Amino acid sequence: MPGQLPLALRFALREMRAGLSGFLIFIACIALGVGAIGGVGSVARAIEAGVANQGQTLLGADMRFELNQREADPQERTFLDNLGEVAVSAGMRSMARLENGTDQALVEAKAVDASYPLYGQLVTEPSLPREALFAEKDGVYGAAAPDLLFERLGLAVGGRILLGNQLFELRAKLASEPDAISDGFGFAPRLLLSLDGLRAAGLIQPGSLVEHVYKVRLPAGTTAQEIEAVRSRAANAFPDAGWSIRDRGNAAPSLSANIERFSQFLTLVGLTALVVGGVGVANAVRAYLDSKRGVIATFKSLGASGGFVFNVYLIQIMVIASLGIAIGLVISMVMPLGASAALQSFIPIPAETGVYPAALLLAVVFGVLVTLAFALLPLGRARDVPATALFREMGFESHGLPRLVYVVSAVAIAVALAGLAVGFASDRRIAMIFVGATLFSFMVLRAVGSAVQWLAKRAPRVGSTPLRLALGNIHRPGALTPSVVLSLGLGLTLLVALALIDGNLRQQIAGSLPERAPNFFFVDIQSTEADGFAGFLERQAPDAELMRVPMLRGRVTALNGIDAQKVSVPPEGAWVLRGDRGITYAETIPENATLAQGQWWPKDYAGEPLVSFSAEEAGQIGLKIGDTVTVNVLGRTITARIASLRNVQWESMGINFVMVFSPNTFAGAPHSWLATLTLKDAKSADEARLLNAVTRAYPAVTSVRVKDALDVVNQLVAQLGTAIRAAAAVALVASVLVLAGALAAGNTARVHDAVVLKTLGATRRTLIAAFSLEYMLIGLATAIFALAAGGLAAWYVVATIMKLPSSFLPEVAGLTIVLALVLTVGIGLAGTWRVLGQKAAPVLRTL
Amino acid sequence: MTETVIELKDVSLTLGAGASRVHVLKNIDLVVRRGEAAGIVGPSGSGKSTLLMVMAGLEGVDSGTVTIAGNRLNGLSEDKVAAFRGKTVGIVFQSFHLIPNMTALENVAVPLELAGRRDAFEAAARELDAVGLKDRVTHYPGELSGGEQQRVAIARALAPSPRLLIADEPTGNLDQTTGKQIADLLFAKAAERGMTLVLVTHDPALAARCSRQIAMRSGRIEGGADAAPSPQRVRA
Repeated sequence: MPGQLPLALRFALREMRAGLSGFLIFIACIALGVGAIGGVGSVARAIEAGVANQGQTLLGADMRFELNQREADPQERTFLDNLGEVAVSAGMRSMARLENGTDQALVEAKAVDASYPLYGQLVTEPSLPREALFAEKDGVYGAAAPDLLFERLGLAVGGRILLGNQLFELRAKLASEPDAISDGFGFAPRLLLSLDGLRAAGLIQPGSLVEHVYKVRLPAGTTAQEIEAVRSRAANAFPDAGWSIRDRGNAAPSLSANIERFSQFLTLVGLTALVVGGVGVANAVRAYLDSKRGVIATFKSLGASGGFVFNVYLIQIMVIASLGIAIGLVISMVMPLGASAALQSFIPIPAETGVYPAALLLAVVFGVLVTLAFALLPLGRARDVPATALFREMGFESHGLPRLVYVVSAVAIAVALAGLAVGFASDRRIAMIFVGATLFSFMVLRAVGSAVQWLAKRAPRVGSTPLRLALGNIHRPGALTPSVVLSLGLGLTLLVALALIDGNLRQQIAGSLPERAPNFFFVDIQSTEADGFAGFLERQAPDAELMRVPMLRGRVTALNGIDAQKVSVPPEGAWVLRGDRGITYAETIPENATLAQGQWWPKDYAGEPLVSFSAEEAGQIGLKIGDTVTVNVLGRTITARIASLRNVQWESMGINFVMVFSPNTFAGAPHSWLATLTLKDAKSADEARLLNAVTRAYPAVTSVRVKDALDVVNQLVAQLGTAIRAAAAVALVASVLVLAGALAAGNTARVHDAVVLKTLGATRRTLIAAFSLEYMLIGLATAIFALAAGGLAAWYVVATIMKLPSSFLPEVAGLTIVLALVLTVGIGLAGTWRVLGQKAAPVLRTL
Repeated sequence: MTETVIELKDVSLTLGAGASRVHVLKNIDLVVRRGEAAGIVGPSGSGKSTLLMVMAGLEGVDSGTVTIAGNRLNGLSEDKVAAFRGKTVGIVFQSFHLIPNMTALENVAVPLELAGRRDAFEAAARELDAVGLKDRVTHYPGELSGGEQQRVAIARALAPSPRLLIADEPTGNLDQTTGKQIADLLFAKAAERGMTLVLVTHDPALAARCSRQIAMRSGRIEGGADAAPSPQRVRA
């Protein structure tokens, strides 16, 4: 009856005059969920806007051409110079060591020319002109580094280090490197120096892993279309250059992709918070409509139709939800401001403050859908409140399912919600697993609630009065059990799952992995010194196990002759085609791999180039035996046929390559070697001694201690873990809100029980014991479920998706049980404490 | 012959299921004419209120026919019965059942608004004036005494000018003096507007004021009262 909508609105507004006291939890739940989703979206968009708007500065150019292991040849250089002003830089990992050789540190060296930076400001402390910062003085070149390197080597400004064979003076601290983000996050601190300095260090050798970067300032006013045209010209003129080209419109693609992926994960967690909050919405709507049954019956006795009644209350619920959504939107808009400061330390991009309508709209849609999905059933039941109830002064309780149309609508909205969550995710598989797990948990929690009630009902008669009362409270009609199990269970399950994933990851990184992993990686071992290096290590560490393989860098440019950029690949396999990959060649199958399919090439094979591909990645990309892979290595384009697929144990952390080529493929190509050294039962001091000895003897070889690298990864995981825990905390807060609401809703019944029991002789102690036992039993059952479901989810993610050994962590289990008990007993008793102190007579009069 | 407002023919109704199944109304035949005031009396559980609900279209019947003011209610959808009730039947409850978040004026206007009357508030104000609550229009139910609340409820029942006014224990929640005032008002207004009044009561004095008494016991009308007596006018 659309004509009656204005009237329904008028009635709804009149009805709401009593205020929102019963809806605070409802509003808080919606605000929290919408705030979390909108906030995460806004922060992600703010960073993206930062990347997009400051593309020139972040890239340090309008266009960036990167070549690996070789400099641009004269034709290429002429092409670049014709585009505009060119700033040349070179980046590589190397070892910086103290002048006296007592200590060393891995650095990410970046050598720049006089034009650097083309855009943005290089900030050093003290601020020095470029010449004074880098120039050679009495055989010593200048350099700048961040605080971290000064700390690691115990140096102050003016301190000296050796890089390769060249002495450098650290003349200033590096405060801000404008284009740091586009030159990649490093494992090690930056060492900024001049190109002349790097050349003098003697580190640039044939096959060295050096990134040569040419940053170009295009004439002012160059449009995106013109940039695209330059890209095409570069590709057409130099099809075999193998350069990776980026422009200001896409300054930090991997950062953008990571932020997008992470924000979508957090959005899903936010959605869980919203769904948990939905339980609070349903509880609040049901309680409200129960209190309105008399009014609803009166409306009907005065001639209102069921549909009209439904509209009146639907409008009220949506008005209240709008208030929650509005508060959530305010949170969403404020969040980028706070996050910008918090993220600054590890994403050095100033987030653009502003309002991001798309992110906010998505949060609003989620908020509205969750409200509808959870409110429709109670509303549908309210529609069928019989007016006859007014005559009988009873029968106001609502039971069973409402009309089919409401059930179908609620299910359809839930499906739309799930569809939206999956549809907006970049990794739909993960989103579907997430949505499926949430739905499954939801249904199982309903079943757990019923099972707990069933068990309580069939429990044998116990001697303890408090326990008997507690068991009775758990299963009686209208008991809190289902809503408490549901509300707390969802939040707790998510928390357990995330805590176990996080804990397992940390355990792997800090604990079991290094035992199997090598102690050192050595990079950039020149072919001429490879044997000498091996002999040196054998003398230094006779019991150690050394593995060495040829190491080249190359990029996949085509699959079966089709441009790799145009091949559609699922996100989990996309990394193989993104940027440069380490590649190698081998005569025999690598030690830590097994042949899954096909044949390994014979010794002294001399036919067409062959390649062995990692089986898992080949499956993800859609490659099979006989397909061709084209790679660009050192400016040469090589097409090889896939001869075999290998099972690679990535988690071994040994030397693993996606692609292993037949040796004849790279015959004569200059390359360096990569080596690993495994020391059994090595102590930290042994490692330090060996590292120092290698760095002194082979200053051009880059030595990476696995423990140090893992520390960096651990820090990164810790930072991600903090963000994940914050998101999980939002879901838990929603849980606690709903729990508090559910327990508060039961308070009236509790007052009644307490007073009647007191009248019959129950002491306050008996009542406290009975209520505590009830809350404890429900909390315990919920915690056990959360541990089982969360444990299962974590095992799936760790063992199946991450392919790491998964273990159950007892501390997580203990913490979960304690948390569940504290929450249920704490909130439950806090609500009923007042009740216990009440005198019976005044309450009895109102019963 | 005076127009028939209520005509029940062989009406039976069973409520509940299984062990709690109760045959509440058994083969009821009843005719009430325009202007009559019928008082339904009987012990608790005899089916008085259920009979009232059947007359208001709030309860369907298992068998027999229910015709109110010429409208046969059997088989009508819930929404059609609601619309019929809004125009034809005014109900006064023992517990008043005013809507707590609406003022007296808004409470009285509800049935008029539901019926789509543009002058709902003017008409509601006139009704409140007629029951002596001109000064209470902006008060909420919580700010009114029990007697005043029941006056508002009567004004609300009268507002759409229904043909049939039914009242379930209208003085049951009131003290004796207030109860008498409310009964006076109810009878006076019904007589004044030529409405048919049917009320359920345990109060013999109130029942005695009705032009006709219908005694119920175990779901039946006692003493063959289903045979319609000669019409009498409502005594104010």
